[in-house]
Amino acid sequence: MGGVDVGGGGKGGRKSLDSEINMIPMIDLLMVTISFLLITAVWTQMARINADAKVKSNKQEPTEEKEDDKPKDLHVTLQEGDPMSATRKFTVAWMQGTTAVITDTVESTAPASKDGVTRSYPELAKKIDESWKNNGAHRDASDKKVDQVVLHVTNTTPYGEFIGILDAVSTPQRDYKFGDKVSKGPALNATFAAN
Amino acid sequence: MSSASKHHSGHGQVTIHQPGRRLMHNVRLKFVQKHVAGGGGRSTNASLSLTSMIDFLVVTVVFLLMTFSASGEVAIPKDVKLPSAENATDMIDAPLVGVSGSQIFVNGKPVGSTRTVEEGGRLMMIEELKASLGAIRETYKQTHPGKEPPTVAVLEIDGRVSSLVVKSVFQTAAYSGFPNVSFMVNKTAAPK
Repeated sequence: MGGVDVGGGGKGGRKSLDSEINMIPMIDLLMVTISFLLITAVWTQMARINADAKVKSNKQEPTEEKEDDKPKDLHVTLQEGDPMSATRKFTVAWMQGTTAVITDTVESTAPASKDGVTRSYPELAKKIDESWKNNGAHRDASDKKVDQVVLHVTNTTPYGEFIGILDAVSTPQRDYKFGDKVSKGPALNATFAAN
Repeated sequence: MSSASKHHSGHGQVTIHQPGRRLMHNVRLKFVQKHVAGGGGRSTNASLSLTSMIDFLVVTVVFLLMTFSASGEVAIPKDVKLPSAENATDMIDAPLVGVSGSQIFVNGKPVGSTRTVEEGGRLMMIEELKASLGAIRETYKQTHPGKEPPTVAVLEIDGRVSSLVVKSVFQTAAYSGFPNVSFMVNKTAAPK
């Protein structure tokens, strides 16, 4: 048994400076702690992607605001195609009111997913990131406003694919300044078109 | 020499030894000879180094304590296969709305079905979900008087569910007082 000897003591003799630490309860305690932590451990990492419920409609609303004064919104549209194909075609357009200012199309191929439900679009993510860096209106760290992105997906699109597009939209990151602190966050605020 | 060996000493006599090992018998150092000639038996007592064992246990405890989550595991309804995403943020404590197949759950309890949405084929309000989320807001107002109820709801939806159902659940949550909706995903590391 390991230990530190602090003396035998005894009658008449001086108390020794060495003492023994009992290793058995110590190892027992460590074992019990390990067992408890292993049983209560959470191995799956859950996270979330934010979205906003500011639903836009395609209908033109009468407004006194001039077309040029309206903020630019990014619209990402999943074009209808072969649902069995891994390649999807997207339109990435900056719109001011109902007028498309810049329109790009991008083809993106989803790599095979491990879980069978997720589809990610790396080319779309790259395109959105580039597009926001060139055209985004709120890029400064001190700017509290966030650029809006509207997603247009068909009603039959599976949720796994939907999250893949939302993940691509969350790719551009920017700095947010709160007092002296600067923290990173998503540059685009996502919402869905009610079509 | 063992007791069984025959040893006759005397004039003109030959000493007879019991046959034994002959190889490496001339090694001078006794403990080396014992080892190389295989003469030493393996001890039946094994010693365990306590220092390294306790070191290992302490490192394991520290690692497990660092990965320990006090909030516990998030309850995910059975049959819900969550999709994965790279650009996701940490989870928050908020009402959980689960959708598995055609069943809707709020905080793990079944509250209704999405059949009306699927049959209707268009975006619509899910009344059972609206009632359940409304009840959560009312309970919060009663238990936390003077405080604004939370506006965030977390959706845990199976990856095979159609976007029509997702959008209907999303819109219903927004109309029920939860306009900030988050989608729960499994976080994956970004490729390097």
